[in-house]
Amino acid sequence: MERRLVIKQVLIMAGGLALLPSCLRDEGKSSIRLTNLEVSLDEENLLAEIAETIIPRTKTPGARELKLHLFILKMLDDCYEKTDQQAFINGLQEFKELTSEQYGKSFGKLSAHQRESTLSKLENNPSPDLSAFYKITKAKTIDGYLNSQYVMTKLIIYELVPGRYNGYFPVKTA
Amino acid sequence: MSNLNIDAAKGNTYDVIVIGSGISGGWAAKEFTEKGFKTLVLERGRDVQHIKDYPTTNKFPYEFEHRGEPALAIKKENPIVSRCYAFKEDAMHFMVKDKEHPYVQEKPFDWIRGYQVGGKSLLWARQTQRWSDFDFEGPARDDFAVDWPIRYKDIAPWYSYVEKFAGISGNRDGLSELPDGEFLPGFPLNAAEDYFKDFIKNKYNNRHVISARCAHLSKPNQIHLDQGRAKCQNRTLCQRGCPFGGYFSSNASTLPWAAKTGKLTLKPDSVVESVIYDDAKGKVTGVRVVDANTKESTEYYARIVFVNAGALNTNLILLNSKSKRFPQGLGNDSGVLGKYVAFHNYSARITAEFDGLKQFATDGRNPAGGGYIPRFRNVYKQETNFKRGYAAGLYGSRYMERDRSAIGGKLKDNLLQGKLSPWIMGSHMMGETIPKESNFVNLSASEKDAWGIPLLNISVAYDENDALMKKDYIEQMTEMFTEAGFKNITPNISSQAPGLDIHEMGGARMGRDPKTSILNEWNQLHTCANVFVTDGACMTSTSTQNPSLTYMAFTARSVDFAVKAMNRGEI
Repeated sequence: MERRLVIKQVLIMAGGLALLPSCLRDEGKSSIRLTNLEVSLDEENLLAEIAETIIPRTKTPGARELKLHLFILKMLDDCYEKTDQQAFINGLQEFKELTSEQYGKSFGKLSAHQRESTLSKLENNPSPDLSAFYKITKAKTIDGYLNSQYVMTKLIIYELVPGRYNGYFPVKTA
Repeated sequence: MSNLNIDAAKGNTYDVIVIGSGISGGWAAKEFTEKGFKTLVLERGRDVQHIKDYPTTNKFPYEFEHRGEPALAIKKENPIVSRCYAFKEDAMHFMVKDKEHPYVQEKPFDWIRGYQVGGKSLLWARQTQRWSDFDFEGPARDDFAVDWPIRYKDIAPWYSYVEKFAGISGNRDGLSELPDGEFLPGFPLNAAEDYFKDFIKNKYNNRHVISARCAHLSKPNQIHLDQGRAKCQNRTLCQRGCPFGGYFSSNASTLPWAAKTGKLTLKPDSVVESVIYDDAKGKVTGVRVVDANTKESTEYYARIVFVNAGALNTNLILLNSKSKRFPQGLGNDSGVLGKYVAFHNYSARITAEFDGLKQFATDGRNPAGGGYIPRFRNVYKQETNFKRGYAAGLYGSRYMERDRSAIGGKLKDNLLQGKLSPWIMGSHMMGETIPKESNFVNLSASEKDAWGIPLLNISVAYDENDALMKKDYIEQMTEMFTEAGFKNITPNISSQAPGLDIHEMGGARMGRDPKTSILNEWNQLHTCANVFVTDGACMTSTSTQNPSLTYMAFTARSVDFAVKAMNRGEI
């Protein structure tokens, strides 16, 4: 019983999903346990900045608070082909170089406007690896957001037990 | 020593043995125990108790490790079962992994199985339609397989009998090709489905869209409440197991009912190796079981054996039950056992958009899934260049389109706001396939499974008739959708192998003549009176209906016959 409680406290909650932490001795490594990916803590933080730029905090929580960057890593680690994982990692390196070349500083130190404009440029066919990196990051940020506990319980309510069906539910046509 | 053996035999002796606890095995257990017979149900998989063993049933989408998607490593290790629509994080623990029980694909065949107490009754799509004489008379009229030894009037009362207990929702539609039953209220069609229903009714006199009939308690009767089941709550998470017992499964219904009689012994983890035929006695005396985990071998004895292992596994057991009297497998003097296997042709679907009725959407969820189009081809007479026909699903829905193009605050607003799509209409075909000698299963001569039982060779394929039927389905649906004013009509021809329909049938077919069939009109082996088969293996032809309701009716009818025969001292 007690052991289970401890494990529960140690688990990292990402969008409502419990993830195992990585080994605490591995300083500088990603905070969650990954099987296939090598991601540093710095890179994980960079991913958090990017995800937060894609879905920022407004009146409601954004990507960082919902830990969607960890969701991206978890999905990439378990559900993607090796080639996609490699493209993502290559693209991540390219992305770091791109921002430092362009602004002389890392993404995290850019203004909100600069961050948005950096990502907006990636919407239009960058290199294959950069494109893979950005597409996966954006798609999983959005998926993770829409499927997060916060959104499903506070914003777009998911009903586990609807108890009804109306095939003529009136809606506005506009 | 001999005393010990006698004691062991006594302890392992029952009135009846039922092999399998799925939809038909569960019914056999209920019927026999209710009538006072000490019944042993052998299930090869693990125990799954209603509610208690549904670990995912109350999980929210965000509680699944990968939001439902099986991890890539799992998919790669399980290419076959991964192709099944239900193989997701919420239900994959109820499905057999590829390596657990391998088989030989002489031709590509996706054999989708659920080895646990309740079998696939936990996972089924719950669609329940009666057959009519247009179906039972099919082989005789269209000259294939053999004539069914029964007609609709023989099974109609048993349909009523099982429907009342299982709880089938539907409307009394008055169609001779799809007889009405003992229905709980049907789940209504939605605005777009109703529009299409009215449209094709006016345009074609023999085409209908009805509310899909399904094994859900839309309005439970006392008999359902007595089972501990409650009204369906429209969750449509059925494949996880339903904590309300809102849909029919062995676990929620027949097995607990049988257990209440005190006459049921249920043994999970019991792989039946063969049925034991006693050459001296001229009948079957029991079954040989291998413990799924310890591999230890045990024998159980009974007066009657019901084989309900699931269509192909029933064939496997009978083929593997060899004796001096039956060297080719139990009841197989004719050599027909394992042959004439058929399935349902699910290899085409079609979608379209409907721009009208934008003042309506849907709210809540429809457990019936929408509408059903009964077979309209070749019903009264042969009128196409292919034999038989197809039924079809028909459903309309509107979903929230969420624009993902922007980034930042604008993206967030777009995602949260969403915009209702037009009605998206969809249909899938459920075609009858023609049983042929060349579609068969038999035992591997060289390979065995973990329990020392030969692997099953499966050699089943589509034929030209299936291709012509698929073409006609696409043409007819395209025409109907076009006439109805639908846009963006998109046929989707799948190259899926047989088996993925999970409606494999036959191999031990019913018929009048022992030379050309295995079972008689009571699902009893022609040549071994105390063995019965009432699962999908018994099917002489497939028609287009989802088969489970017919297995239930066959089972109840067959048990009734067996009990009367026992009472007359004939078995």
